[in-house]
Amino acid sequence: MSSADATMDSHHAEAGKAREAFRAVTRDVAWVAEAPKPHKAWLVALAISVVLFAIGLYSIYVLVTTGIGVWGNSNTVCWAWDITNFVWWIGIGHAGTLISAVLYLTRQTWRVSINRSAEAMTIFAVMCAGLFPLLHTGRPWFAWWMIPHPNDMQMWPQFRSPLMWDVFAVSTYMTTSILFWYMGMVPDLATFRDRWAARGDKLRAIIYGVLCLGWRGSARQWHRYERAYLILAGLATPLVFSVHSVVSFDFATSQLPGWHTTIFPPYFVAGAIFSGFAMVFTLLIPARYLFNLKHIIKDEHVEAACKIMLATGSMVGLAYASEFFIAWYSGNMFEGFTFINRAFGPFWWTYFIMVSCNVLVPQAFWFKKVRRTPIVIFCLCLLINVGMWFERFVIIATSLARAFLPSQWSYYTPTRYDVGLFVGTLGLFFTLFLLFFRYAPVIAISEVKGALPEAHAGKKH
Amino acid sequence: MSVLQKSLHPDEKYKAGKLGQGLSRIGAGIAAVFFAISILLVVFSDTDTARNAGHVDAAGEPAKWARFLYDYVIGWSFIFSICVGVFWLILLHHLVRGRWATVVRRIAEAMTLAFPWVFVAGLGFVIPLVAGYDNLYYWAHPDAGHCLEKLASGACHEYLNPTLVHKLGWLSPGFFAVRYVIYAVVFSAMAAYFARKSRQQDESGDPKLSESMRVASGPAMVVYSLVTCLAAFDILMSMAPKWYSTIYGVAFWGSACVGGFSALGLIVLGIQRTGRLTHSVTPEHYHDIGKWMFSFTFFWAYTAFSQFMLQWYGNLPEETVWYKYRLFGEWQWVSIAILVGFWAFPFVFLMSRWTKRIVPSLVFFAVWQLVFHWLELYWNVMPSYDWATQAHDGARLSAGPLTGNIAYHHVGFSPLDITVWFALIGVLLFGIGRNLRGNLIPVKDPTLGLSLAHENL
Amino acid sequence: MSDERIPDSPLGHGDGSSDGDHGGTAVRREGPLFGVLAEFDTPGELIEAARKVRAAGYTEFDCYSPFPVHGIDDAMGIRRTVLPVIIFFGGFAGTVGGLLLQWWCNAYNWPWNIAGKPTWSIPANIPIAFETTILLAVFTSFFGMWIANKLPQVWHPFFRAERFNHVTDDAFLIGIESRDRRFDGEATPKLLADAGAISVERVHFDPDPAVRTMPRWITAFIVASTAFALIPFAIAAKARTSHSSEPHIHIFPDMDFQPKYKSDQAMDLFGDGRENRGEIAGTIARGSLDADDTFYRGIEHTADGDHWTTKFPAQLPINDQLIKRGKNRFEIYCTPCHGFDGRGMGAVPTRVAATGGAWLARNLVDAGNPVAINMPNGQLFNTISNGYNTMMGYAAQIPHADRWAIVLYVRALQRSQNAALDDIPADHRSGMQMPEAPQ
Repeated sequence: MSSADATMDSHHAEAGKAREAFRAVTRDVAWVAEAPKPHKAWLVALAISVVLFAIGLYSIYVLVTTGIGVWGNSNTVCWAWDITNFVWWIGIGHAGTLISAVLYLTRQTWRVSINRSAEAMTIFAVMCAGLFPLLHTGRPWFAWWMIPHPNDMQMWPQFRSPLMWDVFAVSTYMTTSILFWYMGMVPDLATFRDRWAARGDKLRAIIYGVLCLGWRGSARQWHRYERAYLILAGLATPLVFSVHSVVSFDFATSQLPGWHTTIFPPYFVAGAIFSGFAMVFTLLIPARYLFNLKHIIKDEHVEAACKIMLATGSMVGLAYASEFFIAWYSGNMFEGFTFINRAFGPFWWTYFIMVSCNVLVPQAFWFKKVRRTPIVIFCLCLLINVGMWFERFVIIATSLARAFLPSQWSYYTPTRYDVGLFVGTLGLFFTLFLLFFRYAPVIAISEVKGALPEAHAGKKH
Repeated sequence: MSVLQKSLHPDEKYKAGKLGQGLSRIGAGIAAVFFAISILLVVFSDTDTARNAGHVDAAGEPAKWARFLYDYVIGWSFIFSICVGVFWLILLHHLVRGRWATVVRRIAEAMTLAFPWVFVAGLGFVIPLVAGYDNLYYWAHPDAGHCLEKLASGACHEYLNPTLVHKLGWLSPGFFAVRYVIYAVVFSAMAAYFARKSRQQDESGDPKLSESMRVASGPAMVVYSLVTCLAAFDILMSMAPKWYSTIYGVAFWGSACVGGFSALGLIVLGIQRTGRLTHSVTPEHYHDIGKWMFSFTFFWAYTAFSQFMLQWYGNLPEETVWYKYRLFGEWQWVSIAILVGFWAFPFVFLMSRWTKRIVPSLVFFAVWQLVFHWLELYWNVMPSYDWATQAHDGARLSAGPLTGNIAYHHVGFSPLDITVWFALIGVLLFGIGRNLRGNLIPVKDPTLGLSLAHENL
Repeated sequence: MSDERIPDSPLGHGDGSSDGDHGGTAVRREGPLFGVLAEFDTPGELIEAARKVRAAGYTEFDCYSPFPVHGIDDAMGIRRTVLPVIIFFGGFAGTVGGLLLQWWCNAYNWPWNIAGKPTWSIPANIPIAFETTILLAVFTSFFGMWIANKLPQVWHPFFRAERFNHVTDDAFLIGIESRDRRFDGEATPKLLADAGAISVERVHFDPDPAVRTMPRWITAFIVASTAFALIPFAIAAKARTSHSSEPHIHIFPDMDFQPKYKSDQAMDLFGDGRENRGEIAGTIARGSLDADDTFYRGIEHTADGDHWTTKFPAQLPINDQLIKRGKNRFEIYCTPCHGFDGRGMGAVPTRVAATGGAWLARNLVDAGNPVAINMPNGQLFNTISNGYNTMMGYAAQIPHADRWAIVLYVRALQRSQNAALDDIPADHRSGMQMPEAPQ
């Protein structure tokens, strides 16, 4: 009997520990959304973001009421900040899908701590991205013309245009990201429902209860849920490839030197993941201090992300190199000129920023010490964000400013409305992200629990 | 995502024993037989094919070895790409602290240790090139710097071929050979490093060795990507020396990984058939190999489509010419076969979980993908075999690959295409067999337990 | 041992008329029994218990956990879902649909040459077909999964159990429903307790049957919101099938209203309040003088006044070419009424006659009533220009020179339609036949 009791005790101890571990995860994540008063830093950040967003709204107001002549691209550099920002934002979105889908398929369990916020970031970034081509059309209220529908003019969208591909790719991406994000959140919303119900807050319990669709966490439900989640991840992976590839087709299907090159699709995808990771950690490094999530978003996770940035940064560097090599190898004088012009032409400084931020800066991640120092990572991530913005600018502006004919040559300078809109999308992005961080389950609670060693407690080996 | 561990089954036979010797003997036998057949085929071949394709030597005689050497480049690229694909798995496995592949890693290492043998075999086309054989790579031909244009009067006008002259320094037999040696040294050394460390761990069981391989895999991956891209540019893309595509190296790598994972699956299975590793390698591992085959089938299609669609859309003559000779005439049927056989068919079927887990079906698709991987290389190289020639002041001057009338541009399939390919497969098997020694499993790898217990969701 | 491990178990109260939560003091009415819920300590025990429940032959049971427990599917004998197959077909429908959409729009319904590419250009159609494939497959997985899981279902009897609310936190439960044919009020809880449950609880439906069905207001809300969502479509449908004299609603003005004057608008600037300024008296527009009366009007000035000219304007050479031009124009503009032979039975009069009406066109070549034959050239010209009786003038459509060419051709018709055999040169007569006399 006594030996049986001892076994029982150790069993209870193990069970108790496991329970405590699960409860701790729930508590630590829910704490963020349940705190009665938001953190001061959160309020300050939200205020700043809203102000920035207001600047953007004003810029949009001026733009829509006056016309896109208020932007600086009313010369031959007809795609300038707007398309640069579009590509930049879309690229940032890609890390979210990559973290949630590709790392899921490749069983990188470290993703569970960051996937939810990365997915949210994807959605917000795609929203910001979508604004730019929409506004660049000049009459955004006719955007619905891009949806094939029977109409009095007997016209249909021109599906052979890469710009139409963009419409389909970006809207599919947006839809898929939202569904994926939401589906992942359902079990956690159920957690919120139960917590508010236990506290007697009926209104919140009903809201979260409806949002979680009445999730019960039954094994039969989990079975289909996991299968569908896996398949969604499998679908999102080629989708994420296709979206930035399609964005790159906007350029690469043309004949403009510097745009028309076959490496563009994978090169854009690598760049997108690169910038996306930089953005995720620009956001999460402060957030894990602010919301006390350091034991969930662990140093190892940040380190793994640094390695991915190093890898994708090197891929981008490889693409720069092969572009240069092939520009020379092709023997095409226009190609050759374009690349010399990038490095030494009037936009040389943008090229300099691009190479140093995208290729040289991530090389610092070779060192473990760098990968373990959050403040350094934060600064490097900021630099990478800047560098990736300049990469898109270099591709777009330098090629347009020095096209085939010298009579097309010009220089691009942004106006205050260009800047205002860009700043405004930053404001929108941060506003949405801060709201998300306050009201939604910012960490995938059920997935974190499933990845704990305690998830296997009591199993017979 | 299980953290369950398993230990090696007590009855497991994980020693190579005589396996390597046997395999290397089989490989050497295959290579010897098929090389002999190939040489006989060349010696007794009629010379019209070579002459019609514009391959003549300095004396004006048909260069009958040209077809053999083209096939040699294709077959060599095939075995080289398999090693390249498998090596990527090793690098990735270390880089991301992979788990599932630990049980098959030793076999993968043996495959990459074949690199030196592969590169020695490659001398079969590099030495003739350096020795002045000018009917393989057009850029090595004395006519390469020139172009012929037929004037309205019927006379020919010769002019400089500027886009080619421009790079004849890079694409010269000497410099090519130097780069070839660099690729050989880099690949062989990197493969040897990872294999040696891995074997050291069998002795000592030191987990630090895993760590040092992980650290090394980062820079190795960078070097690997660079060298793979450049090798693809040099050996395959320069077959049509005026044509260029920046994605070419990546597309080659995608195809190489399809071949690599298929070959890995087949070899692991072959080893299991000898009664070894029967407890360790389970359908779970085949499932993962199948997943990678599927992923790279998709990835290859993605790169190939990107390359094609962008050049088709841009419609620049210097780019579309490469596709023009592949999408019309006889070659269009090969293109369609590749589209359906290398992508559509395996893509649809490998999607299913069961195709990857049921061993006979995986074997079918592995063999299938290897055949189509070869066909894809064939499709990349062989259209360059036809060098239209034009009369010029009484002498014939070759116009180079991708010139002339498409109607006269034949696939010209010959038995040599198959025999040379098989001979080189023999070389690869020989190289692998030489390295199948000792343990077939990294017995003291810290992740082995996880790998043995690996389960797919 | 098992007794002390089920401290909260209401097993002692076999009739289930009181609830453990209330410590037996407050008696609560309960609805029919829904099932039994048992809690387990760890995921491992949950799996073992599930295996036992399954072995005992139960089918209407389920395990509840905060995360998917690895190995539970096998223990419970859950068959693999067919969802992947459905999703495959969803994606396939997306591919076919995407390709069809593009083919129908760009190659069939509205073929349009873009950069010389074929209207049905598959390489350029692949990206969108790919996106639609993914989109439909995503929709199938997302909605298919919820439908297969019978969600949303915001209420479930198990929610009434206090411990069930910890499923999303740290609890591992097995619930066996009473509708299982092996369910037994005594044996089932005992099975669970023996399987190592730390607590076993009976769960009843709500005593109020109204609570077991969906509240009325939810149905009302769904109906109302659906109806509300249909309003825009109804408005659009009405607008498409009705007429209105009101101007469009301009939500976005675009360039519909520009700060400029269009013709015939009011304007304060001028005394007459009109924006239009008339022509200034005595002026003529550049190039519109048309001083040659013979050419432009068919009038000849002679000593005894103005007459219709009987000649042709001097600037027009009378030759074969002009007759051919005249024939060509005549056949375009005149034949619908006058007919190819000029006898006034063109397609229009013939058709009108066939429907019982009357549409009279002049027989231009009738020797019996030679009105047109007797007209001077100038009058014929004037008739073409300005019309005659019910015939409208053709000045707007036919340039002056062409009108003269028609006059010439009409003269040729009048001659040829009244010709005798003698008029034909001797060497052309052989084999000729006179047509039957015209009506």
